[in-house]
Amino acid sequence: MNLRRIAAVATKEWKETVRDRLFLLMAFLLPPLWMVVFGHGLVLDVEHVPFAVLDRDQSSMSRDYLYRFMGSRYFDYRGSVKDAREIDRLLGDTAIRMAIIVPDRFEEQLLAGRPVTVQTLLDGTFPLHADTLKGYVIAINHAFTQELLTSFLARTRGLGPEEAHRIAEPVSIETRYLYNQEVRSTWSMVPALIMFSMMVASPLLTALGVVREKETGSIYNIYSATVSKAEFLIGKLVPYFVISTINVVVLWLLAVLIFRVPFKGSFPVFLTASLLFVLCATGIGLIISLLVRTQMAALIITIIIAMVPTILFSGLLVPVSSLSPGAQMQAHLFPAMYYTDVVRGSFLKGLELEDTWTDLLALGGFAVVLRLVAYGLFTKRPKA
Amino acid sequence: MPGPELEERVNRKDGSSFEVVRLWALRLVVMTRKELLQLGRDVPLLLFLLYSFSLSVYISGAGIAMQLSNASLLVHDGDHSESSRELIHRFREPYFRFDGDVSDPKEGLARLDRGTAMVLLDIPPRFHESILGREPVTVQLQVDTTNAPQGLSAAAYAARIVGGFSFDLALSRLGAASNNQMPMPMVESAHRVWFNQDQDETWFQSISHILRMITLFAFLLPAAALVREKEHGTVEQLLVSPVTPLQIMLSKVLAMTLVILAATTLAMVTVLKPVFGVPIKGSASLFLLVTVLYTFTIAGLGLFAATVTKNQAQVGMIALLVIAPMLLLSGITTPFEAMPPWVQSLMALSPLRYYIDVTYGVLLKGVGLELLWDSILTMALLGGVLFGLGLWRFRRQFA
Repeated sequence: MNLRRIAAVATKEWKETVRDRLFLLMAFLLPPLWMVVFGHGLVLDVEHVPFAVLDRDQSSMSRDYLYRFMGSRYFDYRGSVKDAREIDRLLGDTAIRMAIIVPDRFEEQLLAGRPVTVQTLLDGTFPLHADTLKGYVIAINHAFTQELLTSFLARTRGLGPEEAHRIAEPVSIETRYLYNQEVRSTWSMVPALIMFSMMVASPLLTALGVVREKETGSIYNIYSATVSKAEFLIGKLVPYFVISTINVVVLWLLAVLIFRVPFKGSFPVFLTASLLFVLCATGIGLIISLLVRTQMAALIITIIIAMVPTILFSGLLVPVSSLSPGAQMQAHLFPAMYYTDVVRGSFLKGLELEDTWTDLLALGGFAVVLRLVAYGLFTKRPKA
Repeated sequence: MPGPELEERVNRKDGSSFEVVRLWALRLVVMTRKELLQLGRDVPLLLFLLYSFSLSVYISGAGIAMQLSNASLLVHDGDHSESSRELIHRFREPYFRFDGDVSDPKEGLARLDRGTAMVLLDIPPRFHESILGREPVTVQLQVDTTNAPQGLSAAAYAARIVGGFSFDLALSRLGAASNNQMPMPMVESAHRVWFNQDQDETWFQSISHILRMITLFAFLLPAAALVREKEHGTVEQLLVSPVTPLQIMLSKVLAMTLVILAATTLAMVTVLKPVFGVPIKGSASLFLLVTVLYTFTIAGLGLFAATVTKNQAQVGMIALLVIAPMLLLSGITTPFEAMPPWVQSLMALSPLRYYIDVTYGVLLKGVGLELLWDSILTMALLGGVLFGLGLWRFRRQFA
C-alpha cells in the first residue's frame, strides 16, 4: 500500500467528477431534493378517500349517520347516487373508492330497537386501503351503535345517561402511541429517507467509475501502471465516499431543522452507522461495475438493484417482521435493513450503542465482505 | 437491406411515393435490428432483464404484505382471570401474534424499545371484578408507532377487538337481565370488497412490481442507448448516413418497446397467471396495447433526458431525479388521495399515474375503453409532447 498512489488515483477520479458539472450538481442536489419531496409527499396515511352514498331511507337519522363520514378527514364526500348501477361505474372508473348503501326503513328499524345492516362497497385493488377503510367504517358504526344503545336504554328503561352509557360500554380501551405520539408518518418516513437517499444515490456514483474506464479503454493505463489492485479500488472510492458523507450530514440537518424530527439518540452512533452504510452502498456499486462490461448495463442494474429492494425490503414502507420468510431472508441479505433500524431508532427511540451494536456489526461485516468480493473480482490481467 | 439500384432510384426522385415509404420503413427496420443486436450481446443486462420480469416479480408478489400481519403482541395481565384470558384470546392471528406474558410493564416497554415487540396490552388488576360489579374498566394499549401506518393499523384492530368484547358483554348482560332475546338497536357492517374479494395482496404487489420494472427499463434502455452513441461519437456517423434523426430515435424506442413488451408478456404468462392466479378480467390485448403506448411515452422522456446530457453517468442521475418520485408518488406505493395537493398536481404530469389506473382497471376491474379513454388520451398526449420535445432537442443539437 502506497498512500501517494492512492492519492493519485483519488485525485484523478475527483477531478473527473468535479469537471462533470451536471453530474456533480446532481450528486449533491438529489438527496436533499428527495428528502423534501418525499418527506412531504410520501404520506402513508389513508385519508381523503373519495366515496359516494346511496341513501335509500332519506330520514333525519340516516343523514345524521352519513354525516359522520362526510365530516371525517378520512373520507371525501363525492356526492350521492340514485341507483346501485351508478356505483358500479364510479368504482370501475376509480372516481370513488368506497360506496355506502343505507337501506330503507333505517330510522324506523333502529328506533324500534332492531339491528340494521349497512352495506359498504370497497375497491379492493389496493388491499391495504380496503383493509384500513374497513377499520374506519367499523369504528364509525361502533360509535354510532354505542350512542344508539345508550339513548335506547335511557328511553326504554328510564336510566340516566351516565348509567346507560356504563351498561352500553363496560370495557374501554386507552391507546398510547409510543415514540411518535401524534402518529405522523413524516416522522417515520424522514429518518428512513436518509437511508433511501444514501442507498440509491451512492452506488450509482461508484458504479460507473470502473466500467467507464473499461468501456473507454483507459483501464489499460491502470493495468500497466504500478498502482496495485487495492490502491486502485480504494482510490476510486474516496471521492464518492466523501460526497456521500457530506450528504449524510446535510440530510441529518434537514431532518432535524426543517422537518423537526426529534433526534433522541447519540450522534456518534448515527454517524458511525452512516459511514459504514456508505461503505456498503458504494461497495455494491463497485461490484456491479466489476461484473458488467458496458456502462448501460451498470446503470440499469445499479438503479434497479438499489431502488427496488430498498423500497420493498428495507423497512422503509413495510416492517421487515411482516414480510414472508423468503422476503425476510432477502431483507437480511441487504445492508439497508440494519441501517434503517439504527436511523429510526436513533431519531425516534433514542437508542444508544448498547441497543444498536448488533446492527453496527452487521453493517461493518457487509462493508468488509463487499470489499473482499470486489478485490477478488478485480483483476489487472484482462481475459484474452 | 436496400439494394443499390433501389437506393439510386429514390435518390433520382423518380420512385413512386410508395417506394419512398418502403425505403423509409426499411431503414427504420434495419436500425431497429441493429439496436436489438447490440442489446442482445450485452449478456449480463439480458440476464438481469429476465430476472426482473420473472423471479423478482415472484419475490415481491409473494413477499410483501403491507396489511397488518403478525404484529408481535406482549401482554401484561394484572388480573389473571377468566375475563382477562377471554379478552387476550381474542387478539389472534393473522393480525396479532401472541409473544408472551410479561410480569412487569417496564419489561414490556424495554422490548418495545428494542423493537422486538410492537404492541403491549396492559390489563389492570380487578378487571374481572369490575366487570362483574358493573363498574367501567379501561385496558391500556401501548403501540410502537415508529412505522406510523402499521402502528395505527394495530391500534385500530385492537380497538375493534376490545370494542367487540365490550359490546358482547353489554348484550349478554342486557339479554340476561330481561331473560329473553331482546332486540337491540345497532348498525352492523356488511362489507363487499370488489375486484379482489379476498384482498389477496399478491395480485396488487406483483402487478405493481411489473409497472415499476416497465417504467425503469422504458426510461433507461433508450436513454442509455442514445447517449452512448453521443459518448462514443457514433451518432455523427449515423447523422451523415441517410437515416433521419426521427429514424434514429424511433428505432431505439421501437427496439426497446419490443423487448419490454416481450418481457411483460413473459411475466404475465409465467408468474401472474399461473403462480398468483391474477384474474385477467379485461382484454389482455388492450393492456398490451396501452403498455406499448406507455413505453413510448416513458421512452420519449428518456430520449429527452438523453439530449440534455453528455454521458451515461448524467443520464443515471437524471433518471433518479425523475423516476424515483414517479415510482413512489404516482399511487402504487402510497394512497394517492392522501398526498398534499401540490404533490398531486405535480404527479398529474406523471404518465405512470394514468397507466396505473388503466392497468388495474383492465386486469382486475375488467373495464374497457368506455371508462378508461380519458386516462389513455392523457397519457398519449403526454407521450406525444415528450417525444416531440426530445426530437426537437435532438435535431437542434445535431442537424
